[in-house]
Amino acid sequence: MQIILPDKSSRIISKDNVPIREILLDLGFAPSGVIVIKNGSVVPDDLIAGDDDEIRIIKIAHGG
Amino acid sequence: MERDNHCSFCSRAAVILGSDEKTRLCQDHLLEDLLRRVNDTIQTNNLIQPGDHIAVALSGGKDSTALILLLSSILKSRTDITVTAITIDEGITGYREETLQNAKNMVKILGINHYILSFAELFGKDLDHLLLGKTHRACTICGVLRRKALTVAARTIGATKIATGHNRDDEAQSVLMNVMRGDITRLVQDSREGSPGLFLPRIKPLSAIYEKELLIYLYVTGHYIELPECPYASTALRREIREIISLFRYKHPEACDGLIDFRDKVRNCNLLTPDPNTIQHCRICKEPCNGDICQACLILRPTIPKYQL
Repeated sequence: MQIILPDKSSRIISKDNVPIREILLDLGFAPSGVIVIKNGSVVPDDLIAGDDDEIRIIKIAHGG
Repeated sequence: MERDNHCSFCSRAAVILGSDEKTRLCQDHLLEDLLRRVNDTIQTNNLIQPGDHIAVALSGGKDSTALILLLSSILKSRTDITVTAITIDEGITGYREETLQNAKNMVKILGINHYILSFAELFGKDLDHLLLGKTHRACTICGVLRRKALTVAARTIGATKIATGHNRDDEAQSVLMNVMRGDITRLVQDSREGSPGLFLPRIKPLSAIYEKELLIYLYVTGHYIELPECPYASTALRREIREIISLFRYKHPEACDGLIDFRDKVRNCNLLTPDPNTIQHCRICKEPCNGDICQACLILRPTIPKYQL
């Protein structure tokens, strides 16, 4: 599965049928501090991601 | 196995979980839910009255953008209410340009009057210059000066209230910050009412909405713009508090509600009833304050001659 991080860098992780929330926590993101785009659509983070999915993580920006 | 991701109220795909972690909402039902909760906050707390002129503090960031979109929708049929956007341009190189442009774009789309006031225009220097050698206090200094600038801008346009985009996460963070600082005065301070002739009421219509809900709302309605983070944000205590609460909320979803409930209970104890006789006027700018010189003038006087009276 391809993960696109908030800084636009990407990484491939070899996990299948894993809850997106678990991926976020593994990467050090609090689920309440990010939104998740799975294959181009915003999704709740309790969904499962598979090996063929692209997961984009957008961090909630602050200040202003 | 993939779970069913249908909205709990229709057949469309869900974009977010409700706060109960069970309800699933599509983008239309998210919008309906947000409008209902913002309207409830306004009605329950009597935040807006007929004849009000609301100055919406529009930085151009996510919260204020969501605020002006949601308020415009809620107030669109209210011909007895005037809404004007006010933007304070602090002068933060590499950050404010983009958010300011976003603010200009929003008011153009919504057909709302826009008043922009810069720190340079009001105080004589922009924030970057005021912070030289003091970046470790950036958020404190910016916060004090921005509050003053918002008040000046709101008075200039004849506003009766200032609406800010503070969300539920901001509110919970403020409670924990004030507890950690032992600052009970700020903990119980309630700016919703204002004080005639002294302070304009400040209302927070988004105080029941989580920042994640706001960002998803902007994303699914096509108003999400990737904006830079303020370069001074890393100096803020709030940033650390935000991370603590975010991680804590994963295991204890009631954390934000608990903090806000605690603040409201302390407020209701009336431990610190403000005495109107203790309000003085700053001897430099004449604004109401608690001492001889207000916090803004104390910040400005070392570097700007006109504040050195």
